[in-house]
Amino acid sequence: MNEYDTPDPRGRVTEFEDLDGHTIEELSDYLDAGRTPVDASIEGSPGCRIALDALTRLRELTPELLAADTSAEPGPDDTWVQSILAGITLDARAGRRIPLPAPALEADLGITEGAVRGVIRAAEHTVPGVVIGKCRFDGDVTVPGEPVRVRVDVSVPYGEPIPDLAERLRSEISARVMTHTTLNVTGIDITVHDIQQLQNRTEGNR
Amino acid sequence: MSSEPCRNPLESADDRIIAGRAADGDTAAFAALVRRYTPMMRAYTRRILPGSADVDDVVQDAFITAWDQLPKLDDPGRVRNWLMRITGRKAIDRIRSARPHSDLSEMELPAQDRMAPQRQVEARAGIAALSDAINQLPDSQRECWVLRELGDYSYEEIAQELDLPISTVRGLLARARKDIIVRMEQWR
Repeated sequence: MNEYDTPDPRGRVTEFEDLDGHTIEELSDYLDAGRTPVDASIEGSPGCRIALDALTRLRELTPELLAADTSAEPGPDDTWVQSILAGITLDARAGRRIPLPAPALEADLGITEGAVRGVIRAAEHTVPGVVIGKCRFDGDVTVPGEPVRVRVDVSVPYGEPIPDLAERLRSEISARVMTHTTLNVTGIDITVHDIQQLQNRTEGNR
Repeated sequence: MSSEPCRNPLESADDRIIAGRAADGDTAAFAALVRRYTPMMRAYTRRILPGSADVDDVVQDAFITAWDQLPKLDDPGRVRNWLMRITGRKAIDRIRSARPHSDLSEMELPAQDRMAPQRQVEARAGIAALSDAINQLPDSQRECWVLRELGDYSYEEIAQELDLPISTVRGLLARARKDIIVRMEQWR
């Protein structure tokens, strides 16, 4: 592509001045459209073809730039993570209030949805490697006795039979919810969304 | 062949799991998100605000906003793009407060002599050339280019965020692209 060994300071074809009446803006749009429908005037122009090649190379390189920039950043240390955690508000996730039977008539007792989610997440500790993601209650948890389904997303470790893991998790969740609430749980739906790989996950980018 | 399976399973769970869990209020999951995406968010911010001392503040602000808004994120699997969005907006806020006038388009000041970050990972020469070309763009061209190409903003979104007419954004982007490819060709 490069016809010159030494750069010619002026009038080089790579100044992209000679685009046979087209503009870089037009060429970018044309590239965005996947070069379809074919524009004969653009495709027939040597200047445009060279510019399109250069724009294509640029486009291919761009994600690599972000990846290179990202891996050049130092890994975040604990001080950094702690400084962010110190800035967040922790009370925002309580959710609905789930009534509990009160020992005395005039007493009012309840537990928040957020707290019950915490109880459910803790079930993962009995099934090593399992990570519980989002947890939802379908049904009106604010009315005692109403049927409620529990839905959880989970990530499981690679190489273990999923039905077995799910069953252990389900009975653990069920036991914990029964211990801490009087919710009428009619079912626990577990969806496996992720199987963790053994090798180090290449961090989320790309 | 050490296959230390999981130091902390949270770190190896996918985005959807940890973002969903952070949305439910689990700070350990949120910490995992912070560890996973801090480098990318810093890198992106540094491209929008090169040489700025505010990079860490922008990323920190972005995470704090993210924590508050996570329950509204419909698809936790898209948390990476969503974090990029928030980061971009926070970085733009800095631009705005530094340049209170809305006539960004008129400010075609050449980039100051910034020290291009000397980083060994940019050893791949094409990336280094691109990095250099971006750093030499005037501010408003660079901002448009970075938001479009790294932040995946549409032209309309850039126009809105930077308070510019779309036609101006299109023009700035075209000039940015041309400047970049000219510099990269010279380098080739």
